Amino acid sequence: MAAPPVLEVAGYTLDYSTPAGPVTALADVGLAVARGETLGLVGESGSGKTSLAWAVLRYLPANAVERGGSIRLSGEELRTRTAAEILEIRGRRIAMVFQDPSTSLNPTIRLGDQLAEVLVRHRGLAPAEARGQGEALLARTGIARPAEMMRRFPHEASGGEKQRVVIATAFACNPELILFDEPTTALDILTARQILDLFARLREETGVAALYISHDLGLVSRIADRVAVINGGRIVEEGPVAGIFRAPRRDYTRALIAAVPRPDVRLAAPPPDPGAAALLALEGVSVRYGGAAFLSRLFGARPAVVQGAREVSLQVRPGELLGVVGESGSGKSTLARVVAGLQEFEGRVGFRDRGYAGRRAFDRPYRRAVQIVFQHPDGSLNPRQRVRDILSRPLKLYGLVPRARLAGRIAELLAAVRLPAEFAGRFPHQLSGGEKQRVAIARAFAAEPDLVICDEVTSSLDVSVQAQVARLLVELQARTGTACLFITHDLNLVRQLAHRIAVMHRGELVDLFDTAEAETDARHPYTRALLAAVPVPPAAAADPAPLTGEPP
Amino acid sequence: MTPAYLLRRLGAIVVVLVIVSLTVFGITMVLPGNAAVMILGEWATPEQLAALEERLGLDRPVWAQYFDWVGGILAGDWGTSLRLQLPVAQVVGDAIANSALLAVTALVAVTLVAIPLGMLAAIRRGTGADLGIGLVAYVGTAMPEFVTATLLLVFLAGPSVALFPAGGFVAPGESVAGFLAHVALPAGTLALVMTAHIARQVRSEMTDVLGSDYVRAARLKGLREWTVIRRHALPNSLAPAVAVISLDVGYLLGGIIVVEEIFAWPGLGRLLIYALENRDLPVIQAITLVLALVYALSNLLSDLVIAALDPRVRYA
Amino acid sequence: MRELLRHPPGIAGAVLLALVAVAVLLGPWLAPYDPQAFHPAARLQGPSAAYWLGTDQFGRDLFSRLMHGARATILFGLGATLIGVAAGALIGVTAGVTGGWVDSLIMRILDGLLAVPDLLFALLIVTVLGGGVQQAMLAVAVAFTPGMARIARAAVLSIRTREYVLAAIARGESAAWIIGREVLPNAVGPIIVEATIRVAFAIMIGATLGFLGLGAQPPSTEWGLMVAEARQFMFRNPFVVAVPGVAIAIAAMGFNLFGDALRDILDPRRRR
Repeated sequence: MAAPPVLEVAGYTLDYSTPAGPVTALADVGLAVARGETLGLVGESGSGKTSLAWAVLRYLPANAVERGGSIRLSGEELRTRTAAEILEIRGRRIAMVFQDPSTSLNPTIRLGDQLAEVLVRHRGLAPAEARGQGEALLARTGIARPAEMMRRFPHEASGGEKQRVVIATAFACNPELILFDEPTTALDILTARQILDLFARLREETGVAALYISHDLGLVSRIADRVAVINGGRIVEEGPVAGIFRAPRRDYTRALIAAVPRPDVRLAAPPPDPGAAALLALEGVSVRYGGAAFLSRLFGARPAVVQGAREVSLQVRPGELLGVVGESGSGKSTLARVVAGLQEFEGRVGFRDRGYAGRRAFDRPYRRAVQIVFQHPDGSLNPRQRVRDILSRPLKLYGLVPRARLAGRIAELLAAVRLPAEFAGRFPHQLSGGEKQRVAIARAFAAEPDLVICDEVTSSLDVSVQAQVARLLVELQARTGTACLFITHDLNLVRQLAHRIAVMHRGELVDLFDTAEAETDARHPYTRALLAAVPVPPAAAADPAPLTGEPP
Repeated sequence: MTPAYLLRRLGAIVVVLVIVSLTVFGITMVLPGNAAVMILGEWATPEQLAALEERLGLDRPVWAQYFDWVGGILAGDWGTSLRLQLPVAQVVGDAIANSALLAVTALVAVTLVAIPLGMLAAIRRGTGADLGIGLVAYVGTAMPEFVTATLLLVFLAGPSVALFPAGGFVAPGESVAGFLAHVALPAGTLALVMTAHIARQVRSEMTDVLGSDYVRAARLKGLREWTVIRRHALPNSLAPAVAVISLDVGYLLGGIIVVEEIFAWPGLGRLLIYALENRDLPVIQAITLVLALVYALSNLLSDLVIAALDPRVRYA
Repeated sequence: MRELLRHPPGIAGAVLLALVAVAVLLGPWLAPYDPQAFHPAARLQGPSAAYWLGTDQFGRDLFSRLMHGARATILFGLGATLIGVAAGALIGVTAGVTGGWVDSLIMRILDGLLAVPDLLFALLIVTVLGGGVQQAMLAVAVAFTPGMARIARAAVLSIRTREYVLAAIARGESAAWIIGREVLPNAVGPIIVEATIRVAFAIMIGATLGFLGLGAQPPSTEWGLMVAEARQFMFRNPFVVAVPGVAIAIAAMGFNLFGDALRDILDPRRRR
């Protein structure tokens, strides 16, 4: 008889009881992970993927009601285990790696002690012995000076180092199963790549079974053997990675795959006239953050100056979409704030035939012609104003539409972002994240701008919504001839949308190129490292989808 | 924690004291009836008044009087109480010692009671213990000190019960038992109000900590619940608790005024009321400055304790 | 409002405040006796059918005195808070909106004033102005101003960096529009919550001043003064101090509970 799978969930149904009645989180879920295998569990927010992880770890909130089914670890039923028995299983036989190492590590305890405490708990080691073992575990995760890292507090380590500590902790007791909950989402591109490589190596070495939870189908396809797609608490499709991508059986899976940004599927608006004069020209723009307030200086506080941007020069042509990519802290958002007139700067911003030497120099015509859309749809709309008021503001401010035509124009704007006209009477909290972001886009385009700055506009949205918003943006851009400064950390997305791409690194512009030349040898080494770090969905290589738009 | 940081904090305290001194000096300046009238009484002749005003420097410009006063304080000369005809430093000094005994007793009691209660409420959230502590806390924060004090007196010091003396002071040097008996009700009054407030704050901090990602991570490592609370939750909710206690020193300093008056405790509060009734300006000024200094120093002390408890806090 | 009724402490607070409101609005009509009328035959009595909450040292009906004193006590708290909040909000919003050295200067001064305990501050001001209800109200209002200013400033600062405010700045909106339409409407929530809780403190400090003889003066039936006047007789009839004392606690608790409930409801993090 073959050994039972390490994790086997069958017919599992979970409700949450709420004041409004029971809400089903998981319905008749079945899946299995064998030894040495990685199962990717892919779903959008609210799909139930995290509830399943809690159910496996037997860490359910008080209002959870299990309606039936079984959860087996190497053939043993977990649902009937006592709380004390579960404590012996957690951390020893099932471990978990969390999304954000900066919140999942205790800020007041040294990293080494947080790692060693599992060994003390489950292996019965003495603390000194456990710390010794901990060093060895850290060394295995590729940390150069493990003894020193053991003594550090979380805030003294980088995000990647912290996640290595969390991973070392998870592997510490040689568990049978590890649950990964989006372990790279909070990390930068290059760090995320290193963590994925580490995961692959440790899995090879230990033969652990892994359930890898993610919203990112492209990423999961790179590291998982099989994929289960979950939607509305149900597993809609399950199978080997290549099969799912090549021949998805369900509409939902198909939509999810279509939403994965792929460099070879171009969505960009028609390219700008290469001979046209620049619309926006940054010349030697620098930004310094920090510098203590007057009174603090008086008492001897040393001003801590951080360079947000250093001597950046670039141009955007009319109708062009210029992508700006970089890791966090690269200065890409600083650039957006400068152009939007929110950040004081040194250097010169040229717009059409005028030059501006400082934030205060931006005049009304400039501010109308340059609009910004922010990352967080929740924060960018005033919660006390109705959609109607939000959209009418630029119209009134710039005197674009006579008062009598106001309502009609608002309806047009809502239609342009594919929202029903009756949304005009709603408040932002009555809209979903994607709908809010559409309103923010409509507000930007209401000003009839020449340039729209998009600062990570898709990054807080679900995958399928991301794709819709990106498409909408390009469509509006093509229709109105507006140029766009598109700031993002998503390389695949920017390669779909942008005509040219600027790469920022530690405040400096290190590379600027036509999107078609992304993979040529002329690229800066940093650009090449970034491109190499980003998982490319497999179907793109195995079964190229028909090209749309212009050839890459 | 750098010396430069400490220096900067002490500098900020000096700024606070300058503002307080200006405020209190301004207030006492506009008090009806100046010091000469206070000393000589209403029936003094204009000549007598003028002579005394000259001797006290009251005929000089306001700013000169301010700098004289501040200079005197810095030189250790706090002036003379107009009513008691004793050096202010001596009068206030004795009162400070007595008030400190009361305040420290109350603070120790609060720390020993409020923090465990708040944590218990957070750990047993939603249970009877939590509700009970919450209810007591709400009632406690809604009772002014004079009501609490009066009710404690009625029920614990009345002639039929007489568990505690109704007021007065015995120095701990004289008799520890006597001191404890006399301090119990005034300290208890102050502690009750603060306990209510601090327990609520600690509960809310601890609730946040217990709901944090790192506590969840600790539980999912299979650590026993007691280990999770002792190692992961407690240390992280102590720092905010210390911050709340230091803020409550402000309440404490206000509460002491009423409580000392009710229990006839010979401290700063009682002296202040006496000085206010008699318009004894040098004493009023001195007490206000002392209370502000104590409050500012307690805030600094709490920041130092927090820095010791939380490795993320590094003052530079 | 509907959300408030689903919030148990909010319901408790609303019930307590309703009781207080009835006493304030209808107190004089609900009182069975003249609050100043002596009943020499019935001095220092416990509750009875004739005197629902007992009588004081002159045989005055405690329930009637309580009902008449509600206005003096509660309106004092409301009035002092209103003035303090208005002044504090004005200063705090100015500091928060202006920024720069104006903000630094205002904050230093506020820090200095905050180092003086509220009650001490109020005592000093009452001493200058002389005892009396209006003086005491002004004193409490002044004592509240620095704290309110700090809270208003913090509310403004946290909203100033919201993206919708940044969007308005980027659009080139006037300062008046940004402050009046984008910042203030969203800063009002925290200020109202704080103000509600402050009413409880104002009632307590007002009663304390009355108790110390520096606030309401006889023959007022202000609750703190009632406690002070009856203190000598508290061992013979505890009700003379317990009745007004508990009344103060009920009023203060009502505002506390209501304010906490408001905070929970207005706080988007706690909203589902």
